[in-house]
Amino acid sequence: MSNMSNPPGPVPVSAAPVERIQCQWCQSMNEKTALSCRTCGAPLDIRNLVSESGWREAPRIKDMTEIHFANSTCQVEGEIVPVAEINLAQGDTVYFEHHVMLWKDPRVSMTVMQMPGGMKRALAGMPFLVSIAGGPGRVAFSRDATGELVILPLHPGMELDVREHAFLLASSHIAYSYIRIKGLRNILFGGQGMFMDRFVTSNVPGLLILHGYGNVFERTLKPGEIILIEPGAFLYKDSTVTMDVEMQQLTTGLFGGTAMSLAKMTGPGRVGIQSMYVHHNTE
Amino acid sequence: MTGYPPTTPRPTAPAAPSGPARSNTCAWCGTVTDGTPLSCPHCGASMDVRSTVTESGWTEAPGQHDMARIQFGNSTVQIEGAYVPVIDVNLTAQDSVYFPHHVLLWKEPQTKVTTMSLKGAWKRMMAGMPVVMTQAQGPGRIAFSRDAPGEMMALPIQPGHSVDVREHIFVVASGTTAYDWFQTNVWFTTKNGDETETHYPLGMYMDRFRAQNTPGLVIVHGAGNVFVRTLGPGESILVKPTAILFKDSTVQMQLHMETPKSNFGLLSFFTLRYMWLKLSGPGRVAVQSAFEPVEDDGRAITSTSPTTQSRW
Repeated sequence: MSNMSNPPGPVPVSAAPVERIQCQWCQSMNEKTALSCRTCGAPLDIRNLVSESGWREAPRIKDMTEIHFANSTCQVEGEIVPVAEINLAQGDTVYFEHHVMLWKDPRVSMTVMQMPGGMKRALAGMPFLVSIAGGPGRVAFSRDATGELVILPLHPGMELDVREHAFLLASSHIAYSYIRIKGLRNILFGGQGMFMDRFVTSNVPGLLILHGYGNVFERTLKPGEIILIEPGAFLYKDSTVTMDVEMQQLTTGLFGGTAMSLAKMTGPGRVGIQSMYVHHNTE
Repeated sequence: MTGYPPTTPRPTAPAAPSGPARSNTCAWCGTVTDGTPLSCPHCGASMDVRSTVTESGWTEAPGQHDMARIQFGNSTVQIEGAYVPVIDVNLTAQDSVYFPHHVLLWKEPQTKVTTMSLKGAWKRMMAGMPVVMTQAQGPGRIAFSRDAPGEMMALPIQPGHSVDVREHIFVVASGTTAYDWFQTNVWFTTKNGDETETHYPLGMYMDRFRAQNTPGLVIVHGAGNVFVRTLGPGESILVKPTAILFKDSTVQMQLHMETPKSNFGLLSFFTLRYMWLKLSGPGRVAVQSAFEPVEDDGRAITSTSPTTQSRW
């Protein structure tokens, strides 16, 4: 059951010369009259929904909300399987896995990003080619499943780890790499495959859009705070959060029982989960 | 917030009330009502909400109020539920509907269900399309749904007009609508050893619904959200072949292949290309936001249907 309350987080800056509203999702400052955040699209006129246990619902982006990044804009359309439609300005580019493209203007240019370790990725089942679309022109993206678009404007110096194949698109201001999930048990039982995408911002902010199945929830872990999550539900985490596998023994007494694995997340940092996921069998 | 209401001109803006009496025109199908109904009696679209158009010119499918009622012949259709909607048809004795049998949800015992023979059943079976079309005759109720979250769209067809619907999209049509299908002529072949494989990114066939002397009604199911735009004569747009839902028969289509710029010298055995469907106006086109990826094994293409190309 959800409960409306303010999440713990930075207090809006007061005593500014012009009255402004701070977005509770991405911390950007907006004009007082704005109804949705200019940088992440989160509604500013709706209070955060935080469950009693501390999970905050990702903001439901209103139909047709517009978001700005660099000189380009992004419009989020539809509510069942939302579409991210990008109006790229000259000189701006976004990158993505090519199967999420929905439609485009014929003039939008296409290139392929050079990735180190292409073969390793191909073997791991990750898209080994990441495509880049360049402006000017419009191009639209969607994933083939019911869910939410999670818009994460990344401030300079941020590092975020994302479940493989969960990213829809990112602006080229964000560096893309991938990390091998450490520890054999993680690979075998973590349910994460072998790689996670890692997004790093340098000194300019960037835009990252993820697609989560079902609904998306986030919580911020304090240093040393632990939460156990179903590996299939994991969506993203700050790179400061460490991930490990915890085996849960379920004994029945009669036949010796069974074991299930959970991902153990240790703070500090944010952890995002999705409510619809592939269930991994117990063994 | 910008973008809603849209700043660009809306192509299907509702006409201003005209004439002495109060009237209201459905922005979706053009039906004129006396201004009292909240839903269009012919297509079920909500009439009390403004149409939503993206800045790039796609109109979001109007959506229906839950329980919106549509009239066809002497029968009515009610669209129930918003997430995985149900089509609930109340047939009178004179009316019938036809549908592929797997969409049936429930029916009253007195509703007569028979099979409709289709010409070219063998060809259809080879192409994986439903071979048996099922027909329901009134009086009685019958209901349909598809097992995926999405939108149901009612497409009223005026006499003399026709719409083309991608295979497996159609849910139910009124008995007054003529049904036919045609070859898409969108294909390409690749060579795998000695074997030549033919790929149909859009499917081998497409359904065509046509209204002859009386208006027809077709209901289609779009996975996710549905967006429609009207292309002007000669105007074209590239869409993913599996994302297209329906188009007016006046819209021409062909394969378009795009090769991105790449610096992979060593990996040249792997050709990356994007398959698009190039749609050229005049007429309406609709896309759905949930779609499966286009099958492409990346092998060298040996022959294709008429195709345009661009290399970056």
